[in-house]
Amino acid sequence: MKNRIIISAIIVTGLSIFTSCNKLTESPQGTLTTGNYYKTQADAISAVTAVYSTLSTDINNDFPIYGRNLNLLIDNTSDNQVYSPSNTNPDVRALGTATYVSTNDRVHKIYAQHYWGINAANIAIDEIPTIPSAQFVNPAHSAANLIREARFIRALYYFNLVRMYGNVPLVIHSASNLAQASKLVSRTPKDSVYAQIIADLDSATLLPATYTGADVGRVTSGAAHALLGKVYVTLRDWPDAVTELRKAITPVTVSGGTALAGNGTYGYDLFPNFNSIFLPGSKNGIEHIFSAQFNGSVGGFTSTNTLSSFTWSNAAYTADIPADSSIVVKLFTVSDQRRTATFYDSLNNASTSSKVIWPFFNFLKFVDQSGGFTSTLSNQGANAKVNFPIIRYADVLLLYAEALNELYGGPTAEAYAAANLVRARAYVNPAAYIFKTNNYSSYNYTGSGNYSNHNADLSGLSQLQFRDSVFTERRREFIQESQRWFDLVRRAPDAEYSGPGSYYLISVHAMLGNPKSAAALKDTLFPIPQTEINLYGTENANFQQNPGW
Amino acid sequence: MKRILVLIIIGLAPYFVFAQNNDQVQNIRQNNISLSGKVFDAKFKTPLNGAVIHIKGTTHQVVTNNKGEFYFLTGQKLPVTYEINYVGYQSREIYATTSNIQIALTENASNLNDVVVVGYGTQRRKDVTGSVASVPKENLNQVSSSFDNLLQGAVAGVTVTQSSAQPGSTASIRIRGGNSLSFGNDPLYVIDGFIYYNDNSLTNLSPAAGTAVTGTSTNALSTINPSDIESIDVLKDASATAIYGSRGANGVVIVTTKKGTKGTSNISYSTSFGTQDVTKKVGILNGPQWASYFDDLYSATPSIQAGLASAKKVVDTLGAIGTSGDWVGAAIRTGSTQNHQLSIYGGDEKSRYSISGNYFGQNGTLLGTDFNRFSARVNYERNVSNKIKVSTNIFGSNSVEDKLSGSAFNSINFANSFSSLYLNNPLQLIKNADGSFNTTYINSIVTSTYNTINGQVFADNPVYDIASTINQSKITRVLANFAVEYKILDDLIFKTTFGADILNTDLNFYAPSYTAAGNNSGTITGSGSVGVINSQSWLNENILTWDHTFKINHFLNVLGGYTTQYQKVKNTFVAGQSFPSDATTYNDMWAASANKVIGSGESQQTRNSWLGRASYSYNHLYNFTITGRFDGSSVLGANNKWGFFPSAGFSWNASQEKFLKKYDKTVSNLKLRITAGSVGNSNIPAYSSLATLNPYSVYLGNPLTGLSGLAPSQPENSNLTWETTTQYDAGVDAGFLKNRINLTADVYYKKTSNLLVSGSGLVPLSSGYTTVSENIGTLENKGLELTLSTENIKTKEFSWKSTILYSTNANKVLSLGPSKSFQPIAPTGQVSPVIVEVGLPVSTFWGYKTAGLLTAADISSGTPLLTGVSQQVGDRKYLHAAGISGAAITTTDKQNLGSAQPKFTASFSNTFNYKNFDFSFLFQGSFGNKIFNLLEQQLEKTTTTANVSAALLDRFDAVKNPNGKFPKVTNAPVMQVQDTYIEDGSYIRLKNITLGYNFPIGISKKILAKQIRLYVSAQNLLTITKYTGQDPEVNYYDQNNLQQGIDLGVYPNAKTFLAGLNITF
Repeated sequence: MKNRIIISAIIVTGLSIFTSCNKLTESPQGTLTTGNYYKTQADAISAVTAVYSTLSTDINNDFPIYGRNLNLLIDNTSDNQVYSPSNTNPDVRALGTATYVSTNDRVHKIYAQHYWGINAANIAIDEIPTIPSAQFVNPAHSAANLIREARFIRALYYFNLVRMYGNVPLVIHSASNLAQASKLVSRTPKDSVYAQIIADLDSATLLPATYTGADVGRVTSGAAHALLGKVYVTLRDWPDAVTELRKAITPVTVSGGTALAGNGTYGYDLFPNFNSIFLPGSKNGIEHIFSAQFNGSVGGFTSTNTLSSFTWSNAAYTADIPADSSIVVKLFTVSDQRRTATFYDSLNNASTSSKVIWPFFNFLKFVDQSGGFTSTLSNQGANAKVNFPIIRYADVLLLYAEALNELYGGPTAEAYAAANLVRARAYVNPAAYIFKTNNYSSYNYTGSGNYSNHNADLSGLSQLQFRDSVFTERRREFIQESQRWFDLVRRAPDAEYSGPGSYYLISVHAMLGNPKSAAALKDTLFPIPQTEINLYGTENANFQQNPGW
Repeated sequence: MKRILVLIIIGLAPYFVFAQNNDQVQNIRQNNISLSGKVFDAKFKTPLNGAVIHIKGTTHQVVTNNKGEFYFLTGQKLPVTYEINYVGYQSREIYATTSNIQIALTENASNLNDVVVVGYGTQRRKDVTGSVASVPKENLNQVSSSFDNLLQGAVAGVTVTQSSAQPGSTASIRIRGGNSLSFGNDPLYVIDGFIYYNDNSLTNLSPAAGTAVTGTSTNALSTINPSDIESIDVLKDASATAIYGSRGANGVVIVTTKKGTKGTSNISYSTSFGTQDVTKKVGILNGPQWASYFDDLYSATPSIQAGLASAKKVVDTLGAIGTSGDWVGAAIRTGSTQNHQLSIYGGDEKSRYSISGNYFGQNGTLLGTDFNRFSARVNYERNVSNKIKVSTNIFGSNSVEDKLSGSAFNSINFANSFSSLYLNNPLQLIKNADGSFNTTYINSIVTSTYNTINGQVFADNPVYDIASTINQSKITRVLANFAVEYKILDDLIFKTTFGADILNTDLNFYAPSYTAAGNNSGTITGSGSVGVINSQSWLNENILTWDHTFKINHFLNVLGGYTTQYQKVKNTFVAGQSFPSDATTYNDMWAASANKVIGSGESQQTRNSWLGRASYSYNHLYNFTITGRFDGSSVLGANNKWGFFPSAGFSWNASQEKFLKKYDKTVSNLKLRITAGSVGNSNIPAYSSLATLNPYSVYLGNPLTGLSGLAPSQPENSNLTWETTTQYDAGVDAGFLKNRINLTADVYYKKTSNLLVSGSGLVPLSSGYTTVSENIGTLENKGLELTLSTENIKTKEFSWKSTILYSTNANKVLSLGPSKSFQPIAPTGQVSPVIVEVGLPVSTFWGYKTAGLLTAADISSGTPLLTGVSQQVGDRKYLHAAGISGAAITTTDKQNLGSAQPKFTASFSNTFNYKNFDFSFLFQGSFGNKIFNLLEQQLEKTTTTANVSAALLDRFDAVKNPNGKFPKVTNAPVMQVQDTYIEDGSYIRLKNITLGYNFPIGISKKILAKQIRLYVSAQNLLTITKYTGQDPEVNYYDQNNLQQGIDLGVYPNAKTFLAGLNITF
């Protein structure tokens, strides 16, 4: 009996030892973890690739930042746009009527998406320096350059955030565990956020000027200068703005004799055909300084610009529509080629050779025209591979004109030249104008500063008139390019728009039918998402909601 | 004699011991006359046919004949000790000194002497301290594709909600409410000792893994053949489930399959055939009604109208259009089921065996949907020696489910194309004149007006899609275990078990080029995918059991052991589009020329456990159980791999006390139970605590090239731990009037702490993480369960038994850490209809309250209007939430609109026996739960292409219908979550009704059968509900805990009529 007990004890112990080889530590075979990553140059490149990805994808397959979401906050709230009857999300509609509240899901989403991108950048910036330098054998992607690319995108995101929300938590290191991620970071004063943006962009100015082949589309030093110039314009730091913008401006003599005092070596120029900016065939061309890259949904990668997605079988209205054709479309004269590149109210159905006519205008810029229009129109745009220009040369020229006008107390010859270049490209020779097509037999602007028709040139304007004129030109130029709300709220009070926020308020209240009658001064900043206010506690002195919300 | 048949009819045991001793009767002269006797019912004095008589200490045994008589042929001499066993009766041992002995057996009127299956062993029901319930045999006899459906209305405290009526689809099963927000709430299954958690991810790939495979989830439990099941026991409270430690929180369902018994040898065949018809369709507009609606919508769209030279009225030219198409009707058919089971079972002194084969087939009520399963089982047990017993259970099955496939519609991903049948334009033709399916808009009016604008000529034909799209899940499963029991001492047994569960799922999908999914508006030609999921799990358990009786009345049962379980799941996936031919379907993925997707993944889990239990009973009067399990799990954070789960229970058989014994005619049984304990829920996916990297893709370069980068998808959480549920239970088991009335009542309170909250608002968004999983919440469930079983009439020829179950469970979120509430992520373009908020039940619907339509008086008096949408006379009037005022109704006015959780569930079952007939029925219902009728919401969305709800016949029109109850049509519909779509989901259902007939023995014998039973049965014959949707038992989001009670037009429920035959040779 004793023996039996001993034997059984041995059996139990033996089996237990045999089976306790089953270890409880996890070592995933199909999933990488941060612990065993960031060891090689390939890992560093991949970390930065993930940062780029945040421009054009969303973690939950929602609209990416530059694939429509930013537009919903920046264009849909502006005087260019109202909600479309096809919008099914009440929160999207609320943005179009300036009746959104702090629980608005788009306000929450864009905030979350920006920090998602910032976190991806922070990880790259934190981890790449830990990789031994001997690993970086491919000089095309040095550790320093990879970090600079990440810093540029981080700066871009903070620049958006600080303009949309004001003071925002400045997080420049990634949280490696849940305890760190849970830390409540106070709203950082705008000045500090801008200081970080400038530091990040400064570092990015050391990046290569151009890329070829597989690297086209990455951040260039030119992009860093251009964005830095835009940051200084927003900060109203005119001397620095002029200095930085000049670094992106290609020195040319504009027809009429004025030389642009640029010292940029990037060869940036305007496309003679405005429509080329949005054609998949001319991606990353001379006018594109930095873009979010879209290639549709091919090979399992979801990279779709859903900005002008529409399903014609379900709604006569597209996803986003101009505020009111009678005002927004009429901003353009018939000889402005931007009109037909920005709007359509009819399209030729290639498969039936018949013209499909809408009784109203729709936005055209981000409709994928590369495949032509056929009978299978129903998902046109839903799989668009149109890049989103985050900063392009026309923006640089107009910012330069604006900065010179402010710096010198009125438009200089160079300011006129920069603004007129953008206008000259827009206004085609009336003789070459063919009704409602984008096929022009000749363009007024032929590149390198040359154009012959000076009918659209500005001249003899006061500082105020010139300022007005530049802002209006920006409106025409950048419809649906996530610029208008930023422009509306950044313009300082002046003789014409006295009082804080009045450029924004007067403009949106002037819309036909006054769809944004609810717009008030508080709307010159978006509310911090309510979930954040709840999390920090309403009593938290370092994390208060924006005024009026 | 009849008494016996009645017993058979009750079906207390599906296989019966029948006399096979004709030879013995004929050879009576050679019999050992001294070893003979008669066995009869103690009360009715009726002979018992088939009782097994065994001479103790020998291998000799015989079975009684139909007169209850037995004779031994052996040379064994008196005196002997007989052991008499008969199913449904108390076993006896009789010391016989004389021949022709008369043996009276007493029926097991109460279950008191029954043995109850508990984890890692059995216990006398008398001594049990925990809350354990068995599924009645009547429920197990129902025909069903999957045994989890048999739990419906069978056990108090168990709520079963099928996700869809799709053959082979899943059900959500809750024992005493849901304890978890983020992860598994389904119970743990123990199938012949093998521990299995039914995780949908083992048989389904999430849609994110590919582009195509969607539709209702395939249920891995449907691989198990319900006909093989002998018993299902449900462990509910902590005293019972703590032996499963970290996996016990959701309750445990112990499934035991049929084993052979000694002294028998039987072959039985059972079969059933049935037909199925859809119970209900929801109302939509027919062609002429839709035409009229279209004209209204058309004139409500001035911008469209203005662009057209002359607006023809569709309704005016209906003659040219012809009749309308009933899309739902065209896709529905009469379904059928068939079941064939052949079983051979028996045993002798040393071995017991049971071998069975089964085929179950079901053709669904929708075109192209069916379910087929082939399965086989061998259960074998042998006493190798006095000390060693070996046993094995081997089960294999192959099931094929052809299910509905997904189809995107109206920017919401309808993962079930059934709803698109409702939404399809009724003016479109379903079939062309030549009988082929129509895929063009051929209606001239629709084409010339609407389609001039949209330019579309290709029309989706969902009936064609359903009929031609392949969406198939094939599951092959082998579940086997092998056990050795070694009797170290008479009362000390060591048992070691090795088991393996291999579950392979093939997912095949192909949408031909002429379907909506395979055409994608002309961009592709065919869409296909192939996926394989391979799950392997093995389990080793080593248990030492000491069962000892001290001084006659101190009963002690102690067990301890060590177990380890390992599971590895692997999946691979290939999808592609644009094939040169539809002929090769999914079998030639290489030929895909567009949108190729490949993927694979793996996960591994390990669990190591030490477990122990001590049960002590003083004279079956005072019973104590102490249980503990020390569990280690790989899925938890590095700091929290191990945890301890203890429980204690006490029960008191008060009726055995002297002071109550004198009332035993009235109070025949009274037992009080009280238990407490803590159990866990660790149904957490592997690698949840690690900072895993996810791929993020982007295009760069000229030409653009896809690149994949990696970034963390979650921060490391080394403190990740199990959710711990502390449960208190107090219960009473009472029997009255000689146990003709039995009542079991339990009250319980469960508090789940360390609740894993996986949502937004837990960490600042500035961390870069939107949702994280953190053990920070608490929630509670409390409830009451009643089971009342009565034997209303009990005579020789007629008996009537009934059972009433009632259970209520109240669920409440107590804390969510730093956040007060969160809403689950909704599909793009939709707003989440549910909220998880402190103080409210999980799955609370959250939306606007409304009050009819806006009148001109409302507008002029400045009634608050909803922002963001046009609000005019004839639009829906929204109300402020309490405490909010102002001219605008905003999202802050959303409020609690009720919960998907029922206030109580109940069932009422009855069994009647009259002579050779038996009759039973089961009513089952749920009360006080709300349903979000998402299908109705989508059907009230007015567009120029989709069909709409029949409710819109009563739409407001200032001229034609000024008192309309539904809003006027608009070209810009925004569908809100509002109280008009939140409906009362209460129902009472006649779940099952069965009439059976057992042929008299005489007739059976003519075909050499021991038993023949014929029955007819109907399922879901009647449903009483106020719910306006198809069926109130609906759960579109399947195992998702946060989105229960949402109806997006799932596969419709069906009435089933069955006829069956059981025959035993």
